[in-house]
Amino acid sequence: MTLFHYIHKDTVLHRMDGRLKLAALLFFGLAAGFSSEFHDYLVAFSVLFCALLLARLPVAALLKEMGFFGVLILIVMVVNAFTIPGEPIPNSPFAGISQQGVITGLRFAGRLLMVLLLSVVVTGTTPLARFRDAVEWYLRPFPFLPAARVATMFNLTFLLLPVILDNFKEIMAAQNSRCVQLRKNPVKRLKYLVFPLLDQTLRRADEIAYAMEARGYSEVRTRATFKSTKTDWLMLAISLLVFLFVLF
Amino acid sequence: MALLETEDLTHVFPDGTVAIEGINLKVNAGEFLVIAGPNGSGKTVFARHLNGLLRPTRGRVLLDGEPISKDLIGARKKVGLVFQNPESQIVGQTVAEDVAFGPENLNLPADQVATVVEESLAAVGLSRFVTRSPHALSGGEKRKLAIAGILAMNPKIIVFDEPFTGLDYPGVVQVLKEILRLHKNGHTILLITHELEKVLAHAGRLVIMHGGRLVEDGKPETVISRVENYGLRMPLREGEKVGSLTWLK
Amino acid sequence: MAEETVASKSMNLRMTVYAALFTALIIIGGYISVPLPVGPVPIVLADFFVMVTGLFLGFKWGLASVALYLFLGILGLPVFAGGRSGLAVLFGPTGGFLLGYLLLAASAGLLAGKGRPSIARILMALLTGNLLLYGAGLPWLKAVTNLSWAGTLAAGLIPFIPGVIIKITVALILARTFLPRFRERLVSS
Ligand SMILES: Nc1ncnc2c1ncn2[C@@H]1O[C@H](COP(=O)(O)OP(=O)(O)OP(=O)(O)O)[C@@H](O)[C@H]1O
Ligand SMILES: [Mg+2]
Repeated sequence: MTLFHYIHKDTVLHRMDGRLKLAALLFFGLAAGFSSEFHDYLVAFSVLFCALLLARLPVAALLKEMGFFGVLILIVMVVNAFTIPGEPIPNSPFAGISQQGVITGLRFAGRLLMVLLLSVVVTGTTPLARFRDAVEWYLRPFPFLPAARVATMFNLTFLLLPVILDNFKEIMAAQNSRCVQLRKNPVKRLKYLVFPLLDQTLRRADEIAYAMEARGYSEVRTRATFKSTKTDWLMLAISLLVFLFVLF
Repeated sequence: MALLETEDLTHVFPDGTVAIEGINLKVNAGEFLVIAGPNGSGKTVFARHLNGLLRPTRGRVLLDGEPISKDLIGARKKVGLVFQNPESQIVGQTVAEDVAFGPENLNLPADQVATVVEESLAAVGLSRFVTRSPHALSGGEKRKLAIAGILAMNPKIIVFDEPFTGLDYPGVVQVLKEILRLHKNGHTILLITHELEKVLAHAGRLVIMHGGRLVEDGKPETVISRVENYGLRMPLREGEKVGSLTWLK
Repeated sequence: MAEETVASKSMNLRMTVYAALFTALIIIGGYISVPLPVGPVPIVLADFFVMVTGLFLGFKWGLASVALYLFLGILGLPVFAGGRSGLAVLFGPTGGFLLGYLLLAASAGLLAGKGRPSIARILMALLTGNLLLYGAGLPWLKAVTNLSWAGTLAAGLIPFIPGVIIKITVALILARTFLPRFRERLVSS
């Protein structure tokens, strides 16, 4: 599994200052949300694709793993095409598809794909710790907000996401091999799924809390140091430009 | 004065389970102590009292003659605990980040943290894995990573809770060598296990726990003859000596 | 005195870890769907885990956990159902439901109380929470999509009713069997 995982390389994107990268991510996220015209998509996607190449991420492997999302995007498109009312498409082999529906569906799919690509680039080039440090840096000035604690939570959530997901898959597999499909009662099925998942997750939480405490966990801790280069600022500027281009 | 001492250590869980009861133990600096006992005999609960993770219902733990409750952070620096399950003590996304967790908690300056991390990883021979994800390490390497994370805090005493569980033969050898090296470098070692055949040859003392109590404490050669009374497998065959109980050649 | 602060620090750490793990469960809940033989819509479990988070962690930490979830999504990480993210989603048609998660966790945590949970009380807490969730989600959906009320209900409420009933039932069972043990363990350490 390489999707949404950090892949260690030595490129400008990998070295980029976490604080600026976070800001760039925000601009791009907004750009994805506001994209509506064809040229918006063209510009945003080209920049994203350049970033993907610049980061030297394994594009082929990543595309293969995006299959799940591909299905999702397809569903969104089809549902939109059929449900949004509008002019029917002349000579279309499918009855019930409207022009507006297809266009809305495409727009929606484009946005999803953009967010997805963005996440792939960002998570692939940023170690979690850099991300966490940047988040903490931004939160620090806010009064009454325990920045260090939020940073710890951020770190733990992403650290354990794949672990819990694996756990979930294992539980599903174990139950399928005991023919859980034959159970008709949905309450029971959900129960059999959630009980072990929650139980294991809570146990793990206990262990982690102990392990962190054993190593003297403290919210007053060594602060990260940041360094930003001209290239970092340039990349932030590019993302800002993309956002502005899409907005106007 | 003993380096580490427990007095009448007792822990009762809220559901009424008496996990350990009346444990008195003195450990001197430089000792290599093996604690054995069947499943559920209270070994893990006992270990978690030694650096104050669990607080006793009765009794106390002394470090250099001082109760640890006076200075828990100090106790955690002095007593390093390597957990039974190496997965659950990983808190970093990369090997280096994980080792840095302890020194960062101590609020050391960033450059000092980097030095400590480097030294600790070099000490256990994991230097080439700094940027690797801990989850991608082998079982033996994961244990070594856990040890490096503890070494970064520079403890006097290291407690290993079942360090061989789930390891294959090379994994056991790797970890065992590491433990012996730490002992040679002056660390006091408490090793919890029920697999006596893997390490007992190296220990100076064998303690047995059973039903939450400390039932035997003495030289391995004397205690070993009675292990079968407590649900442990007798690791020696006719005519064999304790010195043969090791997985190191 | 020193003992006291150490104990509360250790409690804080424990709750921090729980909150982070529940955030992870909510995220996973948005990715996995359990194919259930009722209705055309597959059940997504994000809202279920929001209920559980509120019940288990209580008002303050439950809210913190859900807030972290929203925060991660706003940052642009693909944590919302089906891998979406960003401010645009928050202001999109389903944004009201996402903000409603805060209300759901808060009322589950607040109304279920701290003592030994009674069925009636938890049921009340979960029903109120879900009412608030849809109370926030549906008007928002209507406003953003310009649908009629009938259309809004058809798109945003009716297909989900069977699922919600199932999820509340399972959450109730969990709260009866799991929660007491969980709270006992919390006090013990
Ligand atoms: N949180 C808890 N609540 C109640 N009882 C507990 C708890 N943790 C442990 N126990 C009980 O305390 C006893 C001692 O457990 P402990 O984990 O110390 O055993 P152990 O000797 O480490 O066993 P193993 O060899 O399986 O690791 C067991 O009976 C166990 O069921
Ligand atoms: Mg144990």
